[in-house]
Amino acid sequence: MGTRKHWWMAMALGAAVLAAGACSRGAKSRKLEIVLVTKALDSEFWQRIKSGAEEAARADPGVSLAVLAPAQEINIDQQVSILEDQILKRVSALAVSPAGVAEIVPVLDKARAAGIPVVIVDTDVRWPYQTSFVGIDNRLGGRIAGEYILKAIGGKGKVAVIRGVLGVATQEDRLTGFREAIANSPGVELVAVQPANSERALGMQVMENMLTSHPDVKAVFGTNDQMALGAKEALEAHHLTGKIVLVGFDATREALRAIQAGAMNAVMAQYPERIGKRAIEEAIKAARGLPVEKRIDIGTALVTKDNVSQFLK
Amino acid sequence: MSPAALLRRFGPLLGLLALCAVLGTLSDHFLTFDNLINVFRQSAVNALLSLGQLVVIITAGIDLSVGSILGLSCVLVALLLKAGVPPALAVLAALGIGGALGSVNGLLLTKLHLPHPFIPTLGMMNVARGLALVICGGFPISELPSSFRFWGAGSVGWIPAPVIVVVVFCVVFHVFLTRTTVGRDIYAIGGNPQAALLSGVPVDARLILVYALSGVTAAAGAIVLAGRMNSGFPLAGMGSELDSIAAVIIGGASFFGGVGTVGGTLVGALIMGVLRNGLNLMNVSAYWQTVVIGVVIVAAVWVDVVRKRAAEKGRAAVN
Repeated sequence: MGTRKHWWMAMALGAAVLAAGACSRGAKSRKLEIVLVTKALDSEFWQRIKSGAEEAARADPGVSLAVLAPAQEINIDQQVSILEDQILKRVSALAVSPAGVAEIVPVLDKARAAGIPVVIVDTDVRWPYQTSFVGIDNRLGGRIAGEYILKAIGGKGKVAVIRGVLGVATQEDRLTGFREAIANSPGVELVAVQPANSERALGMQVMENMLTSHPDVKAVFGTNDQMALGAKEALEAHHLTGKIVLVGFDATREALRAIQAGAMNAVMAQYPERIGKRAIEEAIKAARGLPVEKRIDIGTALVTKDNVSQFLK
Repeated sequence: MSPAALLRRFGPLLGLLALCAVLGTLSDHFLTFDNLINVFRQSAVNALLSLGQLVVIITAGIDLSVGSILGLSCVLVALLLKAGVPPALAVLAALGIGGALGSVNGLLLTKLHLPHPFIPTLGMMNVARGLALVICGGFPISELPSSFRFWGAGSVGWIPAPVIVVVVFCVVFHVFLTRTTVGRDIYAIGGNPQAALLSGVPVDARLILVYALSGVTAAAGAIVLAGRMNSGFPLAGMGSELDSIAAVIIGGASFFGGVGTVGGTLVGALIMGVLRNGLNLMNVSAYWQTVVIGVVIVAAVWVDVVRKRAAEKGRAAVN
């Protein structure tokens, strides 16, 4: 009786694996195999990068694209394993958004040794062999956000930052830009820089704690929208909406609607579809041995209530 | 050996071979030499953590802190190397630190009489992760000396150095568990702690040793991972305690204690590594990988339950 059940087990398991494989196994041909590996796919930002990438791949019939990512942004070693496996398959080109800027370098070296071009997406790394970097100037974005806050609070008062994972270049750059913007205003005091790992629930918690420790804070900069939206929830719960200036980064639909509703003041816009699209276009060029641009700045813009409608289209 | 006993002994191994056969037919890249080496390299850290976890689970315990001890050791070893400590010394220091942190788990369990290993190791999981982040301010410490990186990124001929580390640890743990009195004590504690105590086994001392060993293997995992990533990073090993528990359970150990082998655990770690690698090669998303691994954990234990019930029925029929 036992053995029979084992067979059922084995068959069910086999079927599951086969089904999983069948779903993802594309047509085998001499198509260019381009693989985009993002930090995660669990937010609107990455999903929009993905859809931009898919748009670029659809435009070129000679290309097959796979978009992969670890389950969470913090699973750096899982991202490395994913890359190793793709390098082993000798894919035509890789586009990578590094979850850990230092930790990723050894596996990038492996790609280089295998002769696979690598386009770095969104988060820059110190690796001189990248085919191209496609993203935005995060430091400039941080500075614009800082200048907006400076104006909104009339050049004096306490400000705070809720930031993403420590040690990640995009996050560091936004913070550096923000600090630069407020550096020459002696009336402005940066009372707290608290990490919330780019997560909404943590953003809310950090904001609540800040309201306790610094009840007189006048403005908060969330270095991504998830954290800013978490902070928005905290402000709403404390009936402080509109009383504290709140600025986010990314311009997700939800953040834009919050600006429209007056629950947030501003957001730095990124154009994730354009980043994803351009990254894959460059990767395709590199795979074909065509010349590529070394550094592509997709640009960023300040969104406030005045211009939010054109971003919500 | 009877067929039933053979199946029990080699069940996980058969599962691994069947899995390899299936993945081999699904992906042209899977059954290549380079890829199999790749799988071994990717499975090394989990295999090391699982060895420590195995010893703990044999005593009917659980160690939730291995991922965090790995993270803290990873940061500390990188700091030591940056401070100019010779790599060999830094490696020994890291193993010592891991062992010390692990033995704190054991001391909390036995001397503070905390009710279940879950509690001290859950505490340590948070403390060690927090300290790892505090010590380096959240930043990864990268660019480590190449002689240190050997343990994670180097190889001897075509054998990756991490695989050699795993093999050495496996042999030592196997001999320790099966050929020494202390090893047999550990099984006895898991089988029946009261009886072990009455028959003169120093239960507290053995438990402290068990958690210390788990800390040592976590630190060994840290050395391999830091070398592999060229970086001591505070988020290293996040969530890996659950992977190590899964490998031990897939490998046939029992949560009730007293049962489990080094060979089974190694196979358990390889099953997880092979699954992840095979699914990666087929471009299956990480979310589906999580689903599949969850199914495998439950299925592996269920097979074990079915087998046991069949065996019991058999015995009842004989009586």
